[in-house]
Amino acid sequence: MPDAYVIGAGQSDFGSFPGESYRSLFDAAFDEAVDSVDTDFDTEQIDEAFLGTLGVGGRQLGLSGPAVTEHLGLHGLPTTRVENACAASGYALRHAVTAVRAGMADIALAGGYEVMTDMSSDHTKWWLGVSGETEWERLSGTTFAGVYAQMASAYLREFEATVEDLSRVAVKNHQNGAKNPHAQLGFECTLEDAMNAPEVAAPLNLYHCCPTTDGASAVLIANEAVARELTDTQIRVAGAGAASGRIGLFQRDSLTSIPASKSAAERAYEEAGIDPDDLDFAEVHDCFAIAELLAYEDLGLCDRGDAARLLREGATEADGDLPVNTSGGLKSKGHPIGATGTGQVVEAFAQLRGEAHVPVENARVGLTHNVGGSGGGVTVHVFEREDGGAT
Amino acid sequence: MSTDRGIVATGLYIPRRRLDSEAIETAWNTSPAVSQAAVPTADEDAITMAVEAARDALERAAMDTAAVSHFAVGTTTPPLEEEALAPRIVEALGLGDPRLFSATQSTVVGADVLLAAAEADGPALAVVADAPQSEPAEIGQRIGAGAAAFLFDADGAVVLRDVATCSRDAPGLRFRERASEDVQELAITTYERDTTRALVSGAIEALDGDPNAVRSVALHQPTPDIPHRIARALPFDGETVDCGSVVDRIGDAGAATPAIGLLSALDACDVGETTIAGFFGSGSSAVALLFESRRTIERGVAAALGDGVSVSYPDALRERGTLNETEVSGGGAHVSLPSWQRTIPQRYRLIAGRCPNCGSSAFPPEGACPGCHDRVNFQPFELPSTGEIVAVTVIGQGGAPPEFIEQQRRDGSFAVAIVEITTDSDSVRLPGQLTNCDPTEPEVGDSVTPTFRRIYEVEGVTRYGLKFAPE
Repeated sequence: MPDAYVIGAGQSDFGSFPGESYRSLFDAAFDEAVDSVDTDFDTEQIDEAFLGTLGVGGRQLGLSGPAVTEHLGLHGLPTTRVENACAASGYALRHAVTAVRAGMADIALAGGYEVMTDMSSDHTKWWLGVSGETEWERLSGTTFAGVYAQMASAYLREFEATVEDLSRVAVKNHQNGAKNPHAQLGFECTLEDAMNAPEVAAPLNLYHCCPTTDGASAVLIANEAVARELTDTQIRVAGAGAASGRIGLFQRDSLTSIPASKSAAERAYEEAGIDPDDLDFAEVHDCFAIAELLAYEDLGLCDRGDAARLLREGATEADGDLPVNTSGGLKSKGHPIGATGTGQVVEAFAQLRGEAHVPVENARVGLTHNVGGSGGGVTVHVFEREDGGAT
Repeated sequence: MSTDRGIVATGLYIPRRRLDSEAIETAWNTSPAVSQAAVPTADEDAITMAVEAARDALERAAMDTAAVSHFAVGTTTPPLEEEALAPRIVEALGLGDPRLFSATQSTVVGADVLLAAAEADGPALAVVADAPQSEPAEIGQRIGAGAAAFLFDADGAVVLRDVATCSRDAPGLRFRERASEDVQELAITTYERDTTRALVSGAIEALDGDPNAVRSVALHQPTPDIPHRIARALPFDGETVDCGSVVDRIGDAGAATPAIGLLSALDACDVGETTIAGFFGSGSSAVALLFESRRTIERGVAAALGDGVSVSYPDALRERGTLNETEVSGGGAHVSLPSWQRTIPQRYRLIAGRCPNCGSSAFPPEGACPGCHDRVNFQPFELPSTGEIVAVTVIGQGGAPPEFIEQQRRDGSFAVAIVEITTDSDSVRLPGQLTNCDPTEPEVGDSVTPTFRRIYEVEGVTRYGLKFAPE
């Protein structure tokens, strides 16, 4: 099977931008991605585009993918819109990788966009709940924060972890995000701040929840020949894993892990031929603080029940053994649903090229982990720098 | 009517929340007519209370619900002005397909449904449920809520021995205009008292029975004094009247007050003694029913009156929707009425499915089997009615999905749990909202049981279903 490479990645600022449209946000992400390619190239060389969005916020727009690429001037480009909730662009990336590996595209564009902050609060609540199990879970009156809070309630009871550990996730990710110029909430917070925030859904408070965000991200995937021609350092997609799970938490065997994350990670590791020990950093889906702890375990970064210990020991901090969410994560950087998955790749690409704002020394292998809903769809990608480490 | 047909079991439901007279007195600087009133929560109405009272009676009779051949329901507060309400209650109870009778528009309907059930053949269930509304200033200071159920069958414990009626064209005592939720009274005191006394006592005097054998009476009771005023024309002492008076403790629950009063009167009645129920509705008509106890039948009304938790006056107003009602528009994740209707057995009665291949239980029983992942035709079965909380959170004020905004404004924060129910061979989980509790109290590991409630309203149609309450 031919290999696929990341040759460029970029994102718009993440935040609340009433003056922008989903098309203009994507323009910014695309421009940054194109600029990040080492060698100038003609964007007409792009053969195919896969773009993730939940539905451009609550608009439920049809043909938003072509609207974006035509707006960019990529006239006539075959464009597919991918919807897998918060994992939409993780899956868009998967399609782009597949297209390149299959030889159908020499260069494929993967990306995502979402506009979430310009609707009335009632309207926002309607569509934010569309990515869970709507006929039973939502009609018990719960929200996304509620479902993750339910996971947290079970996790805190089952394992050695406390609400303070949830707050530590926020402190760590804000510390990183404060250095990311694209971050929506780019400020540091103290443990005290993160303990005393208003409750959203017990045991989760505001600091345990990511914000709603406008933003876009774009990644350029190419085959080996193109990658060698256009880039000085080759970043290979070493492993692409994905899995589905029952979309309702109540339908799943475990309340304290996300089975689709486990399966997706196992597939990605197998394809990459690595163990979690080989990772130098990871960007994980921390839509809620509990999700980051579950990710540590589901991705095999630690044993079951050991996530809080890993966090407390500082292993996942920027200077730890395995830094997690050096971008600030969804918590600090922001979570523009459809743009999140490829947004994570922007950070992985920067780390592997030694260009990250929170650099991981000599990073060679990194992972991105993108979860749709509360675990109905997950992608895990492993990226490997081919020359042996960033300098 | 066979001579031994009669009531074999009774059921009662009173909302848990109670408004004390002191709270009203503080708010209005005037002493209300009742010392306490039951306050229905935002997710309760005549239908949900009817289901709970009926279920109580069916459980006490240990009767196969499918055997019930007649179902009669009476209320002055049907949730909709037009649309049958009985089928929804019947489905929630799993009654099969009984003959239906419903009565509304008057507080006298308690007598109508009792008569319908008494005169039917086979097991017949009569339920009276009511939750009147009114302007806060007047009747609003005494309105309550509740439901009573009476299951009739052969070999009754309590047999209906006689019926008498009395009516005259006397309007304006208590009425509700079209398209209004508020009950009104003209409060022409002497006219009202004379009319009520004349008709109720007239009906009771026409009964064929020995007044000296009467142990207890349950009379029309919009306020605590009215039964005593009626009884002045009758040979009953104060204690006999008090046996069947509950309005002072549950408030004016419309048609349900005398029906719950009858349950209380029956609690006092020994074998061989008789009980009289005197129903009345403005318009005006009165119906008197004479019951004889062949065996005692006790529902423990006095104890139930003492249960409950006190709420503040603003909470009561909010809970009833007097404050801050809101219209919620449709939007994403809309569950269509047909897709909701297809799952009614699951939503009302927890009908799960068993996989014929691997034996795994599935809830809801649709799609591939959760055990073997084969596409199968599940064998339906009803889940046990006790579950355990395995995950729980609190959806705070302002955080609810839009379908639940109105409920949350009225009822406040609510807890949402994942409930695990253990079957004979395995277990299933389902999400459920918790009710009848302080939302911050339920914890993982607590036992809960389902209770029938309003879930939410969309496009004018209220969707009902089960919530869970702590055991």
